[in-house]
Amino acid sequence: MQVVAELNDSRPFSRVLVANRGEIAVRIIRACRELGMDSVAVYSDPDRHAGHVRAADVAVRLGPAPASQSYLAANAIVEAALATGAQAIHPGYGFLAERASFAAAVESAGLTFVGPDSRTIAAIGDKLAGRRIARSVDVPVVPGTLEPAAVSRPEALAGIIAAAEEIGYPLLVKAAAGGGGRGMRRVGRSEDLAVALLAASEEAQSAFGDGSVYLEREIRPARHIEVQLLGDAAGRVVALGERDCSIQRRHQKLVEEAPAVGLSEAGRKDLHAMAVRIASAVGLTNAATAEFLYGPDGSFWFLEVNARIQVEHGVTELVSGLDIVHEQFWLAAGAPLSAGAISAAERAASPGGHAIEVRISLEDPARAFTPLAGRVGRFRMAAGPGVRVDTALEPGERVPPDYDPLVAKLMVHAADRPAAIDRLRRALDETEIDGVQTTLPFHRFVAASAAFRAGDLSTDFVETYWDGPMARRAAVHQALLAAGLAAFESIPTPALLADQPAGLGWPAAARAEAIDRWPR
Amino acid sequence: MAQVTNPDESLRVVPAPASRAPGDPTLIVGKGSATTVGEEQAAPVTARIEWLDGEHAILAEEPSAGAGPDPIRTRVMLGPVRRRTSDGIVIREVVVDGWHVEVELELELRASLRDRARRGVPAIGPGGPIEILAQLPGRIVGLSVGPGDAVVAGQQLLVIEAMKMHNELRAPRAATVERVAVAVGDGVELGDLLVVLR
Repeated sequence: MQVVAELNDSRPFSRVLVANRGEIAVRIIRACRELGMDSVAVYSDPDRHAGHVRAADVAVRLGPAPASQSYLAANAIVEAALATGAQAIHPGYGFLAERASFAAAVESAGLTFVGPDSRTIAAIGDKLAGRRIARSVDVPVVPGTLEPAAVSRPEALAGIIAAAEEIGYPLLVKAAAGGGGRGMRRVGRSEDLAVALLAASEEAQSAFGDGSVYLEREIRPARHIEVQLLGDAAGRVVALGERDCSIQRRHQKLVEEAPAVGLSEAGRKDLHAMAVRIASAVGLTNAATAEFLYGPDGSFWFLEVNARIQVEHGVTELVSGLDIVHEQFWLAAGAPLSAGAISAAERAASPGGHAIEVRISLEDPARAFTPLAGRVGRFRMAAGPGVRVDTALEPGERVPPDYDPLVAKLMVHAADRPAAIDRLRRALDETEIDGVQTTLPFHRFVAASAAFRAGDLSTDFVETYWDGPMARRAAVHQALLAAGLAAFESIPTPALLADQPAGLGWPAAARAEAIDRWPR
Repeated sequence: MAQVTNPDESLRVVPAPASRAPGDPTLIVGKGSATTVGEEQAAPVTARIEWLDGEHAILAEEPSAGAGPDPIRTRVMLGPVRRRTSDGIVIREVVVDGWHVEVELELELRASLRDRARRGVPAIGPGGPIEILAQLPGRIVGLSVGPGDAVVAGQQLLVIEAMKMHNELRAPRAATVERVAVAVGDGVELGDLLVVLR
């Protein structure tokens, strides 16, 4: 293995461009620094002073706020890599991460794409192709269509409606190029199918530049369980373990944990083996995730492969002890699977410890998790034993409305699931954000929920257990009460002002307000 | 009025417009107790604030009759006074259980005088104009109506794309479109006027 000899005692690349923003860009830049590589950040105008720009060694402006003119501007990103002497581009998740055309452009510019190669992305990034591949290696797929529905031709509609009857209602219309619930519609009856097809197709076209959609039976209740995969250029693929990501809203994950509660060692081995079979069939290199639905009868149904690093990769890192982004860089540089990865895979079916992640986003949990934007005031993240926080945000910074509202991932790790839940509650108590509404109330509810502790997980968890308006009303009552009562009490001097010369109460309070007032 | 000096006074406390939702309570708070407006028959809540540092406190609420002997203790974060309006309203932020609430405080005496002055002004009835405001920041990607159009309840007015999701806004009742304040392609912020119905 010539390549290995060259890589020993060295680093995968000397300089890497990170084609992303927010917490994932910072997380990748951290890996670059640990591996002794320079990092190049790219940014849009509203991100001029963002955390990922601060963290990097070099920063390059891409363009104005709209993603199409910044983080999706493939040519500008490749040019930035060439101009700054970067050897590799890490796409993170979202944006260009699963666009085969981008990976191909990176490759043809003589650079290394840190992820599966463009052919693999094309092969499994297309959800329909992924379904066909899974079936070819005897992995059960969710019943549905295997070819794109011809939305634009009205005369083909009869065929689709017939296919839908065969699948049965309710069903889901999904974008072939999709992810994150975009370009997805739930259809309860045949009359609504035509409208849903068109709406999903339009949304998919606008989000992914590809309007192809297909049909899939809706399996409910079900858990969402996925398997983290790594593959090397020699064709070896391993599974590092599974994650349960059942707690979702609008098909976007809110809480993830590893391992999945309630699986036996044999069940884990079967699941991991199915994921490895699919990945091997497409010659997966680098990192990817195979997603499955887990029915109440204990059966797994393959959903799709995500050919990129996932938002929730951190819980697998905590349980396996492996740094997946480090592994991605070594694999991209041509190294075989590391000894650490192979031993982590050997332990994957009998994991020690438990990790949970909550996604803290600017969303209103009382109004169906509507995305928000705005300036945060205080932003204090938890720390201490077994706590990891991935974020790019600092107090007083503005979260622009143009991108995903995720601002921080709070992860905890403990010896077992009950201890991890206790730790999560503690960490959430330490987490303080004001100025904007976040998903924190929901996470606090989950961490305190008997259903969650009992492992009663399903993709219906939010609908079944979460009454956002009611939870908010109780909190509003207490907020009004506290603010009212506080006006009758003298206010202790804030810690920031404690060392200043003593003054009369009023001037001190006025100073506290002046210092404390966030720009709005 | 960050601090009330006369213990006999009381405050009217409501969520500020930015934090307000239908059905939110209005509290009349005195020193050590509070009542909810519209629930005068109910016994007032007895509660106190125990400061930790200058911004964190424990709200200790005495349980209602029969609900157990121990006070309910809730950790609250009291933010700075954000704004004082010229008519004596103070706005500050409170965070409870992860909920971010902007709170308006006003001396009850003043608030009730203002209410009395306003009485007699006709309220906006079912035939009045309805302003449809942006409930989320985003971009207008579809506009289904124009000025003068008659719409029925539930009819789609426009589509806002936010975070790449299409969000349809619908008419709350049958009405006529009086004004369309946005065009396809416009970016909108939370609270921007979109459409006026009459």
